Amino acid sequence: MSFLAPAAAALALTLPVIVALYFLRIRRPTRVVPALNLWPDEIRDRQANIPWQRLRFSWLLLLQLLAAAVLVAAAAQPALSAGAGLARHSVVLLDVSASMQARDVQPSRLDEAKREVGGLIDQLGPQDRMTLIAVGSVPRVVASVVGDREALHRAVNDIGAQNGPADLSAALALASGLVRPGDDARAYLFSDGIVGPIRTDSANSLPFPVEYHRVGVSGENVGMTSLVVRTGAQSRAAYLHTQNFGRQSRSFSVEWRADGRLVDVRKLTLAGGQAQDLVLPVPSDATLVSAHIDAGDIFALDDTVSAVASAPRAFRVLLVTPGNVFLQQALSLRTDLQLDVIAPSAYRSAAPYAMSIFDGYAPPALPDGPFILINPPAGSPLAGGTPIGIGRVRAVDAGDPLLTNVDLQDVHIARSQDLHASKFGRPLITSLQTPLVLVRDEPFRQVLFGFDLHESDLPLRIAFPILVQNLSEWILPPSVPSHSFHPDEPVTIVPEAGATSVTVVRPDGSRRSLAGGSVATFGDTDLTGLYTVEQVVAGKVDRSWFTVNLFSEQISQLKPAERLTLPPLSSTTAAHSAHRGQLEIWPWIALVALGVVVVEWLAFHRGL
Amino acid sequence: MAALLDPPLLRRLEALALRVRRAVRGQMGGERRSTARGRSVEFADFRSYSPGDDFRLIDWNAYARLDRFMLRLFVAEQELPLSIFVDLSGSMDWGRPNKAETAKRLAGAIAYVALAALDRVRLTVFAEGPISGGAPYRGRRAVANLFSRLQSFPVGGPTDYDRLVWPIGRQRPGMTVLISDGLGESSIDPAIAALGRARQEGAVLQLLAPQEIAPDWTGDARLRDAETGVEREFTSTPVTSAAYVAALARRTDEIERSAHRRGLRFARLSTDEPIDDMVLRTLRRLGLLS
Repeated sequence: MSFLAPAAAALALTLPVIVALYFLRIRRPTRVVPALNLWPDEIRDRQANIPWQRLRFSWLLLLQLLAAAVLVAAAAQPALSAGAGLARHSVVLLDVSASMQARDVQPSRLDEAKREVGGLIDQLGPQDRMTLIAVGSVPRVVASVVGDREALHRAVNDIGAQNGPADLSAALALASGLVRPGDDARAYLFSDGIVGPIRTDSANSLPFPVEYHRVGVSGENVGMTSLVVRTGAQSRAAYLHTQNFGRQSRSFSVEWRADGRLVDVRKLTLAGGQAQDLVLPVPSDATLVSAHIDAGDIFALDDTVSAVASAPRAFRVLLVTPGNVFLQQALSLRTDLQLDVIAPSAYRSAAPYAMSIFDGYAPPALPDGPFILINPPAGSPLAGGTPIGIGRVRAVDAGDPLLTNVDLQDVHIARSQDLHASKFGRPLITSLQTPLVLVRDEPFRQVLFGFDLHESDLPLRIAFPILVQNLSEWILPPSVPSHSFHPDEPVTIVPEAGATSVTVVRPDGSRRSLAGGSVATFGDTDLTGLYTVEQVVAGKVDRSWFTVNLFSEQISQLKPAERLTLPPLSSTTAAHSAHRGQLEIWPWIALVALGVVVVEWLAFHRGL
Repeated sequence: MAALLDPPLLRRLEALALRVRRAVRGQMGGERRSTARGRSVEFADFRSYSPGDDFRLIDWNAYARLDRFMLRLFVAEQELPLSIFVDLSGSMDWGRPNKAETAKRLAGAIAYVALAALDRVRLTVFAEGPISGGAPYRGRRAVANLFSRLQSFPVGGPTDYDRLVWPIGRQRPGMTVLISDGLGESSIDPAIAALGRARQEGAVLQLLAPQEIAPDWTGDARLRDAETGVEREFTSTPVTSAAYVAALARRTDEIERSAHRRGLRFARLSTDEPIDDMVLRTLRRLGLLS
């Protein structure tokens, strides 16, 4: 046992003072009584006729000395050695991700973890410090190198659950940045182990050891991990994926609603680990569909899902070409494009179109807006040099989002204009001889192809429609994407032309205003449910929707991980000198002191 | 007089009379039946004529039938001798209302009832020793003197009940009322025993203040005896207060048992009880007045 405030022992001087007061004569008021012999003639503890007298034994004196001694002991803040070994700097990583809302431990995994963190805080010694990091989709430092236990308790209590995943790698990187080299530090991870992929290579080595405190016991959960609305030739249907992630068989019903109206109820029984896909009808006039299961399991976040059923707004696109069936087919794969195809001779203006595509033709004045220019004829402003033969085709940056899923390995191009000297923009696809495709963001998103598609086998490859899709979505992202997003995933919103205000109404009714007139990224998607985007165009309110659903099998399976594979310790990690944690017991001692005072009071009134 | 008792109370007291269980012989005529034979309208007995008897008492009808002189005897109506002993020791000079003042008023009220009924009243106050209140009082005209004398007595000094034995013992049979708090260094029992031996009918009235019946203070104090001046340091707690109340109850119980053993009435009175209630209710219920 140690004392956190040993200086308080000086208060023990009160003990001789109490004894001295017993020596001293007490000044008493005189009371005349008719018959003194009727009053009990007992020798009282404080009876004294001379200023200093021999100390008599007294229960009251004993109790008062005991109470004072216990209070002095409490003031010295004695602490017992606790079981856990604490470093001087404790880094607590508290998982606040969606899976921590599971109620397999009461009241929830997160509350249980917070309780355990509270116990760790209580063990901090006067010299110890703690850093508290909430591990969500974006790690957040809640308390940085704090020694005040009250402040730490408040910080822990203020932490709330999030609906997104846990990015433990980012949290560990953040924690590593907060620990100075050579610090005596140790990290404590309070989590159910359902975290994102952890980079365990040596480049991400940690300067402190990590203790994993597993929270949660069960993985018995039934959830929905996908809901997609598909529009066919005649009708629309929704495809719902449900799965029993636990081991026990479960029976439940699925409530299917369109715009809040109950459309269908399906009874399901799923064995442990079994999944089932449902095809559900979508009314033609429905805007929003939602499904809810009443499985009564330990996790509610995946029991309700929703999807937007209405078709997205279409963009008008102009294709000016002497004839290019490949390009026409690739563009028509995107359902929200309304394509107008004209011959170069018919071209007048691209003003009413959101995007223009010029194939083998360049207008005298290029439109002041997004366009794709393919093989501009010689003499036009953006035309390259003399065509040259092309060898192997490759991507400038294989990780470029515009080339996602675009395989250029078997693509061949006969010849292309020499774009070496072009100032159009950055090269996207290139060859040894010359850049082949250039892109630029300013003043508008625009693309320049240096070769004729007909002189290449690119249109015959699966890469071509994907490339066209990537480029068109980059140039013309949907105003409001109608598909589902994950919690905390940013949503790009492109305001309608002429929109004076853009407001997003969240599922809880709160409103967020975005800057009108420019592409905005909306990041407040922590809540699951339906988000409504309201745009005011020419005085009219135009509404569109997107949804946020958990849709994560990794989270819905819920089973806590027994152990985690964490990055290795770095070679520069300080020798860990874990000392015993301290458990303060002064509140209990103060309680004993209170009890002694009460006994002293009772003893006084009983005439002891 | 006005300061001692109110005129309205005096008027109500006139309707009362001392109540004795047996007839007693007085010295002078009065309104009470006596053991002596005398002139009244109430026939008592016959007896044979002896020379020297008043021949006006001869029953001539009896003589006609029996041919003997028979005298008709009647019950004599005489006064009742009442003695009042009032404790004016130091312990009585205490309390709110003051016990000595209340004792004087109570004695005055009882004396007034007796004087209004043509009884004879002898007043004695006592503390360390008995002090006579002067010659016996008789008749309404003596009321003013008696009240004045009562109010003139000083209060204080220790109580010595043993010194009451002699003045009590020399009394003729009659009625005696002893008003005291029963407190003091000596016991009141010898005085009560003397009343029994002197064939006194009457009552012992213990008069206490409400503050000594239920002490209204706690904490540290230096206690001083009102009679002896002896001091003692003391700490009043609920426990010690309860011990005091028990001791007082024991003292009261001793006095009551001693009085009853001698055929005397006993009542414990509190000074916060109005004097009207003491006399008109408590003493009537006790059977001392009717």
